[in-house]
Amino acid sequence: MTPTVDQDRTVTYPPETAVTVACRLVGAGKRFGGIWACRNVDLEIRAGEVHAVMGENGAGKSTLMKMLHGIHLPDEGHVELAGRIVSLTSPRVAEAEGIAMVPQELDLFPDLSVVENLFVGRVRPRTRFGTFDWATMRRQAATAFGRLNATFDIDAPVRSLSGANAQMVEIARALMHDAKVVILDEPTAALTEREAQRLFGIIGELTRRGVAIVYISHRLDEVFQIAERITVLRDGERIHTGRTRDLDMPRLIQMMVGRPLSKLFHRTPHTPGEALLEVQGLGRTGTFEDISFTLRRGEIVGLSGLIGAGRSEVAQAIFGIAPATHGSILIAGRPTLIPNSSSAIARGIIYVPEERRSQGLVLDYPIDWNISFSGLNRISRFGFVSRRREREIAERFRALFAIRSSSLKAPVLSLSGGNQQKVLLAKALVVEPEIILLDEPTRGVDVGAKAEIYRIIDDLAAAGKAVLVVSSEMNELLSMSDRILVMHQGRLTGTFTGPDFSPDAIGAAAAGVLAEQAEDSALHPGSVH
Amino acid sequence: MNAPWIDRALKRPEAAPIAFLVVISLLLALTTPGFWSSANLLNIISQVAVVGIVSLALNQVILSGEIDVSIGSLLAACAFTYASVGHLTIHPLLPLLAALGVGLGVGALNGVIVTVGRVPSIIATLGMLLGLRGVVLLIGANGVLLVPDGARAFGLGSIAGLRAPIVGLVVVFAIFDLINRNTEWGRDILAVGSNRRAADAVGLRASFVKFRCFLATGLGCGLASAIFAGQIGEIQATAATGFELQCIAAVVLGGTSITGGRGSTLAPVIGAVLVGVILNALTLNSVPGTFEQLVLGLLILLAISVDAVRFRASRRLS
Amino acid sequence: MSQPTTRSTAPAEASPRPRFAFTRTHGLALLLVIELAGLGVLVPGYLEPGSLLDTSRTFIETGILALGMTFVIVSGGIDLSVASLLALVSVVMGLSYQAGLPLPAAMFLGIMTGIAGGLVNGAAVAYLGLHPFVVTLATMAIYRGAAYAISNAAAVSDFPPWFTSIGQSYFAGGLVPAQLPVLVVAALACWLLLDRTTFGRRVYGIGANELATRFSGVPVERVKLAIYGLMGCLVAVAAMIQTARVSTARANASIGLELPVIAMVVLGGTKITGGAGTIPGTVLGVLVLAYLQDGLVSAGVRNDWGLVIVGAFLILGVLANELFRRAPR
Repeated sequence: MTPTVDQDRTVTYPPETAVTVACRLVGAGKRFGGIWACRNVDLEIRAGEVHAVMGENGAGKSTLMKMLHGIHLPDEGHVELAGRIVSLTSPRVAEAEGIAMVPQELDLFPDLSVVENLFVGRVRPRTRFGTFDWATMRRQAATAFGRLNATFDIDAPVRSLSGANAQMVEIARALMHDAKVVILDEPTAALTEREAQRLFGIIGELTRRGVAIVYISHRLDEVFQIAERITVLRDGERIHTGRTRDLDMPRLIQMMVGRPLSKLFHRTPHTPGEALLEVQGLGRTGTFEDISFTLRRGEIVGLSGLIGAGRSEVAQAIFGIAPATHGSILIAGRPTLIPNSSSAIARGIIYVPEERRSQGLVLDYPIDWNISFSGLNRISRFGFVSRRREREIAERFRALFAIRSSSLKAPVLSLSGGNQQKVLLAKALVVEPEIILLDEPTRGVDVGAKAEIYRIIDDLAAAGKAVLVVSSEMNELLSMSDRILVMHQGRLTGTFTGPDFSPDAIGAAAAGVLAEQAEDSALHPGSVH
Repeated sequence: MNAPWIDRALKRPEAAPIAFLVVISLLLALTTPGFWSSANLLNIISQVAVVGIVSLALNQVILSGEIDVSIGSLLAACAFTYASVGHLTIHPLLPLLAALGVGLGVGALNGVIVTVGRVPSIIATLGMLLGLRGVVLLIGANGVLLVPDGARAFGLGSIAGLRAPIVGLVVVFAIFDLINRNTEWGRDILAVGSNRRAADAVGLRASFVKFRCFLATGLGCGLASAIFAGQIGEIQATAATGFELQCIAAVVLGGTSITGGRGSTLAPVIGAVLVGVILNALTLNSVPGTFEQLVLGLLILLAISVDAVRFRASRRLS
Repeated sequence: MSQPTTRSTAPAEASPRPRFAFTRTHGLALLLVIELAGLGVLVPGYLEPGSLLDTSRTFIETGILALGMTFVIVSGGIDLSVASLLALVSVVMGLSYQAGLPLPAAMFLGIMTGIAGGLVNGAAVAYLGLHPFVVTLATMAIYRGAAYAISNAAAVSDFPPWFTSIGQSYFAGGLVPAQLPVLVVAALACWLLLDRTTFGRRVYGIGANELATRFSGVPVERVKLAIYGLMGCLVAVAAMIQTARVSTARANASIGLELPVIAMVVLGGTKITGGAGTIPGTVLGVLVLAYLQDGLVSAGVRNDWGLVIVGAFLILGVLANELFRRAPR
């Protein structure tokens, strides 16, 4: 895989000799409570390049970016700008030094207009009467958006903008700072293909003017398309930095993961049984449409797609959180209405949410409290909770999942991410579900805990449960799924049956970014295989 | 399709309340004799001047995402100060300065408790509402404090042929409008109320922004107390009980969101006038005074429900 | 790696934080003892059982409201309308009795009014998604206004003796006020409900993390409705006792009572933003504040100091919560 250089979104490589370093991390490391999130990392960002930083979740990418953006101060090493050691004590200082960041979770002021958002926190121009010079501000804003080839109502409140346009506002903010380095964190995660292509055009435009782009993405295809150099992080250390053209995709994956995938996930061979859950033409207005699939006993089905494709929404509709508006759900062959999450649980369906902290657990409360919370009815009589049975159940899962904690009364907050995730799984399994919907089950979890969670999922399938796994980590799905469903913009765009999946075809169905390259399959993604 | 500016005008938070005010005024003009006279309309506005001024200040606090319910007691405390100092001196401005001083001091205390002590503003100002009322009762329990005639100019006098309370309301509105339109102070309030985390990220000092809003409310109460004392002429220790409810009602009715970040400078004025018009209409139609609170409460409930529905609708569109 | 031992892998796991409510509740009990001792020195005879028990008549209604308010605040809400609703219940009962309804039927109507008032608050909060502060601010005016409107601000006071004896008689040798057992039973019931039942668990869950509670299969809206309904029911009980105690139903009853109620709950350790708080804490909060107010009056301090003290305790109570909470970090 070499970068396709295409006339519209050219990545022009500056000659090797004329290299200007925009900024540099030297031996940088950051420690949280005795554990190094990243350690001794050297990173050189050159003016006018697109530098991709790759790595699995927890590899230290975000910590590294936060050091560049003044959110964290390095505990070792330092940041250099144009050869000068700087202390980036806050995002504001970083921006004053010319480093801007467009975060994945956009952080704008939803109630303020677009123009306002560009000027919050900085000196606004004034007229000679001392009043704010709105005319100048709007002109400057228009100029900034003009440079991005973006036209939209700059007086509208940001709340009313699409995700792509809100992102343009963040980028325009960065440009108005005269940023020399712009960090883009998963910028295409919530974009459509056309929006993504427009963003790549803008990135090309910026690099031609000498702006350095630090690009973070999980989407290997687009990294190969636009990045000039790639740095790979793993377990908090820098593994590799080099030109994209010197790399290929398998080698990159190998470096990111660090070990053959088979070592992480052991698949117990088993044969799927009868259909437990059938979804027919399921849709929710404005979110997803026409979703049909079947989930059988003892089967693990992966649900792939980009963030924003509607995967979580489908799972949550089946769980009754935001019920579907059309289509039908059959459980063990019988049509079933699931108007809310309590009736889903009563019918043997459980959903393990992706946001552990906000959706999954009550962090300040004890471990046993959390484990029993979904299944209170099972451990109570006449509405009174039996603390003895609560303790027994919690003990059982602690032993079963090897949850490492000093006491079951300790708040979940005191656990590591992996152990929190195991508590979340225990909480779901307390209700003895038959149909288990897992949303990003290994997000923010270290490699060891990951392997343990894979083992738990495998055990569930072996015990005859039907398991649906939503994941953004392709490798995870490739290695554990019996089948993989792919969603794109609210629709199923492909169904693939294992064990020998074609990552390229799945990627094509999911993204469409590869559409031109994988012409034959991507034009009619629904018909792949 | 409308022109964009019309579209935007319609989307402004005070658009619906203004429309409501216009419709109800027209209805009253047609149905209620004596409503549509300049004397009655001027009466209404000078009667709501005190609520309007304090609401304008309270509006700042609410826009910043906080709340101040201590204003009922604070207005009484300032009015007491104003009248007491009025007895001591014939100088017209000294009582006002004293009242402003008390307002500023209490506002600062509120601000410190909320921003430094990190006590939620509802609790901090509830405590202040109770404590301050206790203080007023302790000082003024021996009956009625008369406001000396010389000190009633802010309530009864006129400036260039206009009634002083109306001039006061207009001037205070103009000041806040200027602040909110043309100073970093004013713009930062909206930013902090809209998204506190993002405000921190761009380096705004949210605590200080909020502190200034509490100061403004204190000053607003100090100023309004001069008009209040002048208008009613005698002050009891229980004066202005429940006043905070009227002001919150005015702000919310006018279109400012109780959760902060969304609203306008005009909202509290519209809301105060709306309350004044409706109470006036009740009086003119000889509805018993016992119905006032009921109508007021229903209005607030209606306003927040409409706001919630509108807000949800606008979010769904995006 | 997979050995199920209790060995901790990270330093953060080694020491679970001590349960916050535990230490604080004990501190509050200590405060109550010190306070009563001080009052015993200041006011001769204050600590005699008869005197202490008699004083309870001043806080039975507030105490009952505080129990319900604990549920509301633990769930992340607030109810400013309780005092107004209390007056409305009282007036509805009094007027329907005056209009010729048998008193038990009038009382039943009153209880229904209380529950309905609570459910209206709950429905607006749960199903319309409105901010509880504004909703109950509006219903505070509505309920009070309705009480004024239907009674035309006139009082009803010709209740039969069996009714007024609920709030005015004593038993056990003239020592225990008749209404005290109501508070005791209500407190025990509320303690069981909040601390031991699935409903209580869900109340905590909603207050601590509403979204996670929804994802745990809890019908959040229905639980919220029940919380405010329970509050309304307790308001009605308090209204009966108050009406019996003063022998009068009137629309301006207990104006401003919501504030000392909230102060007592917060002083008792309930976190104003929800997710933490206990009934024993609330009971202690009620006792500390009520005996302080009453004792100071007995000691010759002017009544109006009571307001200042409640206000100060409200702020200091939350400030103390903040300091306690910040300390372990």
